[in-house]
Amino acid sequence: MFLSVSNLTKSYHTGIVTHVLKDVDLKMERGQIGVILGPSGSGKSTLMNIIGGVDRADGGTVEVGGERITDFNDNQLVEYRRERVGFVFQFYNLMPNLMVAENIEVVSNISKKPLKTDEVLSAVGLSDKKNRFPRELSGGEQQRVSIARAIVKNPKLLLCDEPTGALDLETSRGVLSLLQKVNAQFGTTILMITHNVAIAGMAHVVFRLRSGEVEEAAHNSEIIPAERIEW
Amino acid sequence: MVLRKRVWRMIKKNKGRYIGIVILILVGSLYFTAATGISTTLENMVVGFAEEYRQEDLTFSTDKPIQDIAALEEESGALIEAYRQYDVKLPNGELRLLSPGTKVNIPAVTSGRGLENPGDILLDPHFCQTQGLTIGGQIELNGKTFRIVGTMAVPNYVYIIKNLRDVLPTSGFGIGIVSGADLSAFPEASNEAVTVYGARFQDRKNIDAQTTKLHGLLSQKGYSLSEWLDSENNKRVSMPWGNISSMKSMSFPVATAFFLLSCLIVGVMIMRTVKSDGVVIGTLYAQGYRRRELTRHYMTIPVLLSAVGGLAGTLLALPCVRPVVNSMLASYILPDKGNTFSPLNLALAVLVPVALIGLSSFLAIRRILRKTAVDLMKGDEQKAKVNFIERALRLDRLQFNTKFRIREQVRSIPRLLFLVLGVSAASMILLFGFTYNYSMDVVMDKGSITRYQYPLEYNFKEIQNLQERAVPKGAEPYNALRCYPEGRESVEFYLVGMEPDSIGFKVNDMQGNALSRDQVNISSPLASRLKLTEGDTIRFVNKLDGKSYSLAIDGIVEAYGEQFVYMPFDEFNRMTGQPVGSYSTVLSSHEIDFDESLLSGVMDARNPEAYEDLNALTTLIVTSVTALAVLIAVIILFLVTSLMIDENRNTISLLKIFGYRGKEVTNLILNSSTPAVFVGFWLGLPFMLAFGNVLYGYVAEITNMLIPMTVNPLYVLISFALIFAVYEITKRLCGRKLAKISMSEALSELLGRSQYTPTNLKKSYHFFVPSINRQRKSMYNN
Repeated sequence: MFLSVSNLTKSYHTGIVTHVLKDVDLKMERGQIGVILGPSGSGKSTLMNIIGGVDRADGGTVEVGGERITDFNDNQLVEYRRERVGFVFQFYNLMPNLMVAENIEVVSNISKKPLKTDEVLSAVGLSDKKNRFPRELSGGEQQRVSIARAIVKNPKLLLCDEPTGALDLETSRGVLSLLQKVNAQFGTTILMITHNVAIAGMAHVVFRLRSGEVEEAAHNSEIIPAERIEW
Repeated sequence: MVLRKRVWRMIKKNKGRYIGIVILILVGSLYFTAATGISTTLENMVVGFAEEYRQEDLTFSTDKPIQDIAALEEESGALIEAYRQYDVKLPNGELRLLSPGTKVNIPAVTSGRGLENPGDILLDPHFCQTQGLTIGGQIELNGKTFRIVGTMAVPNYVYIIKNLRDVLPTSGFGIGIVSGADLSAFPEASNEAVTVYGARFQDRKNIDAQTTKLHGLLSQKGYSLSEWLDSENNKRVSMPWGNISSMKSMSFPVATAFFLLSCLIVGVMIMRTVKSDGVVIGTLYAQGYRRRELTRHYMTIPVLLSAVGGLAGTLLALPCVRPVVNSMLASYILPDKGNTFSPLNLALAVLVPVALIGLSSFLAIRRILRKTAVDLMKGDEQKAKVNFIERALRLDRLQFNTKFRIREQVRSIPRLLFLVLGVSAASMILLFGFTYNYSMDVVMDKGSITRYQYPLEYNFKEIQNLQERAVPKGAEPYNALRCYPEGRESVEFYLVGMEPDSIGFKVNDMQGNALSRDQVNISSPLASRLKLTEGDTIRFVNKLDGKSYSLAIDGIVEAYGEQFVYMPFDEFNRMTGQPVGSYSTVLSSHEIDFDESLLSGVMDARNPEAYEDLNALTTLIVTSVTALAVLIAVIILFLVTSLMIDENRNTISLLKIFGYRGKEVTNLILNSSTPAVFVGFWLGLPFMLAFGNVLYGYVAEITNMLIPMTVNPLYVLISFALIFAVYEITKRLCGRKLAKISMSEALSELLGRSQYTPTNLKKSYHFFVPSINRQRKSMYNN
């Protein structure tokens, strides 16, 4: 099992105690695409942050590629984020004053064995826009840069937080298609958060989260190509 | 208005930044209030004393007593006082007894009472202190006992030096006032007491012209003048005026520079605050708030900061004035009239920063508030715009870290300019402090005192003649006059006649080669001030009698701060109409036993360290200037660095998410300012030279004192090290702030509407909940 989440719990104490994750279990094989569906406040982002090594759990374990990251100290978590996990965000979070290629170099700069920037740009179809600033790109293009930035370190796990949340249908299809391509080309395991039930069709495995619990974990027998997704 | 609550929250949120601004304003007001307070207090004491007690405009002695003083007063328009002085030797000092002036140089009783009875004496307070004497006690002078009834100050002995041309006070020397009858009662006084005249012109304008007229009248009446010194050149009178001038000349420019710097900083800060609040402002507009209500809201912070800084600086300055005035008064005898603060200056110290900073902030706020509510709500103001420099930069071949740092700096040109100019300003002040100090050292090391090959200089009261009084071996005579170039009375210099084989002075050209003494040589500072070179002609006027002369310049003497023209001895006497062999001064390699009554002063350059006391004020100025420069550097670097961190919170947070370690983030963000600090420092050097030349020129015009502006590379390196040390310390201080930025900041923005925010990995950290503008910013980035 590439990704294994067992009995994961997390609470926030803000005067009152709020249990955000309650004994969450989740498993994914290497090279799969997983989608986490759930309404606001269901704990999707918290779960993803813990898997990404950005937040800590109160209890339970998370294993990625055979390593229990919940036992990692801060330095090990930094190392984990540097080399093994990539992030794609809803609002891209590109650095506005760095050019496209430079935004990708932000990550390759600290990675031990990064892919070549030009190769990644070619993979996301933006070779001709490497010297543009993010402001000069469309939303879809910016998200492609964000994906290029995430995959340049050749991560084993790619975490995507509502990657199409700010895009229109056509552009979203392009981005999702690109993610499928990355999954196929680089063998990257992808875990994606979304509100959009339609996207679940392109995943190997779908987790429905509600009130901090995994309500359902379903395996798709048929994977729909992103180009055919409708909503 | 409920918005007022935001003001305190905004201040609390960026308290470090605002404290820095308040300190900068405070320092400006403190400096201004203290400097003007000191100069006003001193001026009030010195000018008030001079006017009230009728300080002389000139002092002179004649070969025989003036017969009809009243007639001379009538003709010259001057009050002329003849007073007797008699020096009494004491076991551990010497006391000069003076008869009390009634028309000019009237003594002011500073403690005790005035002279009432025979045997009463008033003493100068320093003398009392050093001799351990008290009011009510007694002092025995040449067998006569006097009762000390009080202490006094005399206008023509504010700075007590024994001889008129002495540079330093003589240890143990003091003055006392006794009645004329008591002075005459000394049996030897009839032989040894001298009569000196003090003159004060009734018309307080054109003193120089009236002085020349009086000189002419005395000559006409057949009096030969053995002593003739105007108050400007009489150190007993002029010393405190120099302090007042230097305080005045430094107070306004330096304080104004502080205020303007504060305005720039606050203007930049407020503009950024308002810009980052653009969406909120747009929303408030949309809710019906008026422009003036919002202007008032955003003006509260700068007005509050400048008022607090200005008021605190002014209040803190009040107790600072007295110790400085006391330290100055330690060298002078003046009636202490207490501190004097001009209400106008006090008001200016508070109102100028409020007005200037208020105006700069108002302009910055209006610029943003001109936009429409829709534009503001779109978040246009916060959108990261790419400026023309960023667009033009092609950095493909550079390493990522270098690229990142360059882009980080050029992304905000105003911030970069602010950093470069701020560091330049701090460096300029620091370099100026060191250069001023070094220039004074150069004057001491290479100036007039070290010019003397013969260390002793005997000045005679009356012109001597070689035929009557030859000078011994190892000594040489010279004659001198005070002159000014035609049309520039503020530039005074000495015309010196020296023997062609003179060895008493070093007279080298700019390359260090000895110049002939048998020609006309001008000192380099004077040549530079008058823009003269070899072959030019200098036209000048004798200050004493108003006669004009001209001389062709043959050589330029390397000199530091000195203003003189050397010419051959005989030619000097011929040109000025004096008998062959006339001289006023003897330079000597050894002590000569001249009759002391003939001398007006002796300068001894054998121990140059003794003159260093004269530099006490300079040391005080340099120390305070250095401290100020370091403070400015700290504040500016801290403000810019903290601004940079605040503007990069999202980037920093994101870099941490990507796996950048703390040191790597620090290296990228904070070290990006290093080239700007470097450039800023080196820009400070030409700025300092320009500022220094203007200021030195200004001081020279006011005080006729030339200070050579000499930059010492060692001090430049020390300043460089100091600025970079401040930069490193600031980075460390700000590094903590940077370390506190958690990954959750970027995530909470990314997640946008997430109900929960992840905890910091190291510790729980309550961060600022992203405001509506942040969310809008992300949304409108599309």
